[in-house]
Amino acid sequence: MQLDILGNPDYGELAIDLEPGEKLQVESGAMSRMSPGLELRTHLMGGILPALVRRVFGGESFFMGEYGGPNGGQICLSPGLPGTVVHQHLENSELVLTAGSFLACTSGIDLKTRFGGLRALFSGEGAFVLRAQGTGELFFNAYGAVIEKQINGSLRVDTGHAVAWDPTLDYSIAGMGGLKSTIFSGEGLTMDFQGTGRLWVQTRNLPATAGWLSPFLRG
Amino acid sequence: MDITLQANGAFHSALVHLESGDLFKSDSGAMFRASSNVDNDVTTISRGGGILAGLKRMAGGDTFFLSTFKTTDGGTGEVGVAPTLQGHLKQVDVDAVQPWLCAGGSFLGCEGHMDLNPRFQGLKGLFSGENLFFMEVSGPGPLLVGAYGRIQEVEVDGALTVDTGHVVAFESSLSYTLTKTGGSWITSFLSGEGFVLNFEGRGKLLVQSHNPREFGGMLGRRLPPRRR
Repeated sequence: MQLDILGNPDYGELAIDLEPGEKLQVESGAMSRMSPGLELRTHLMGGILPALVRRVFGGESFFMGEYGGPNGGQICLSPGLPGTVVHQHLENSELVLTAGSFLACTSGIDLKTRFGGLRALFSGEGAFVLRAQGTGELFFNAYGAVIEKQINGSLRVDTGHAVAWDPTLDYSIAGMGGLKSTIFSGEGLTMDFQGTGRLWVQTRNLPATAGWLSPFLRG
Repeated sequence: MDITLQANGAFHSALVHLESGDLFKSDSGAMFRASSNVDNDVTTISRGGGILAGLKRMAGGDTFFLSTFKTTDGGTGEVGVAPTLQGHLKQVDVDAVQPWLCAGGSFLGCEGHMDLNPRFQGLKGLFSGENLFFMEVSGPGPLLVGAYGRIQEVEVDGALTVDTGHVVAFESSLSYTLTKTGGSWITSFLSGEGFVLNFEGRGKLLVQSHNPREFGGMLGRRLPPRRR
């Protein structure tokens, strides 16, 4: 498998040459172009019931596409939001991704959705997180640029900005500076990460973009 | 007529230098600056009126109104044009032999004597929900296209499948069919890859790194509902 990330940090996209028989799991809708020999199969992640629950509570993508072909071929993937594509090699390890940030992974990686608990509802990342586990290549995307932080101790991140983290990190939702500032500052809720591990943070956040735009819409 | 591309990057724009007698056509609304001796004439390119023209307009997602710029005093002038979305521009030099097809939303402008001919993609194009109307641009002359994100030039030799939302423009030597990605219509819709274009033949194809419709969809879900 040969891979090439083009256009970072503004317009990152991913080009992958698949070997014959090699398979790639892809976020639904991310394919932008591909050579004709490749085939697509779609499946529900985690079965029908969890997918339905996710749909209702998280509004996340229901389906995954699996691309591959007997003769291999090239496929390009592009995230819905402009920004950066990150590549991580997993070696019998695990990474937690927020729901919207998954782009693709090779077949040695197993993806599971986890309900993030009540705190996740306030994280601005949707109620579900993805756990990518196994050995292979994992790709995720960020809105804007991405900053990789090594955390030893704790770090506070505005909700909506966390992209991925090592499972050794844990987080809790906190208000910054009391109720008054929570309501008025827009910096209200934060994700407080604790532990030792890496955290990827994106420099833009979609709810904020939408929030900025909404007052300008006319009915 | 001379064109310079300015500020390469996310906010690319083009500056068109008009000599006396030069004409430049642009998608109406693309102009953001012009010299004071430059005059603008708005025309529409739909052939014939009626329902079909209206449908075409709907399907294109683009106003079919064109602005034609020229200098009024016999001197030289400048017109600056830029697309709505952030991204790159590209100048394509269309020769007299091979017309280009340009996705409706990507057309930014061209030399004023070039022939523009809208090509409607039929019912399938209408139901695909994508910006499926192509403008056939015949040369010779320069054509300006805009993109959401980065533009990449692909040399097609054989076949290539491209998501409809990523097509910017291509040489008319390429033939295309509008189809679905997966084995069945259901697979295709469930995967989120509703419609794709299968290109065949030999020729240049410009693709954009990002899909405006997808961005719009993601943003739209987070906007308040429209009041009636």
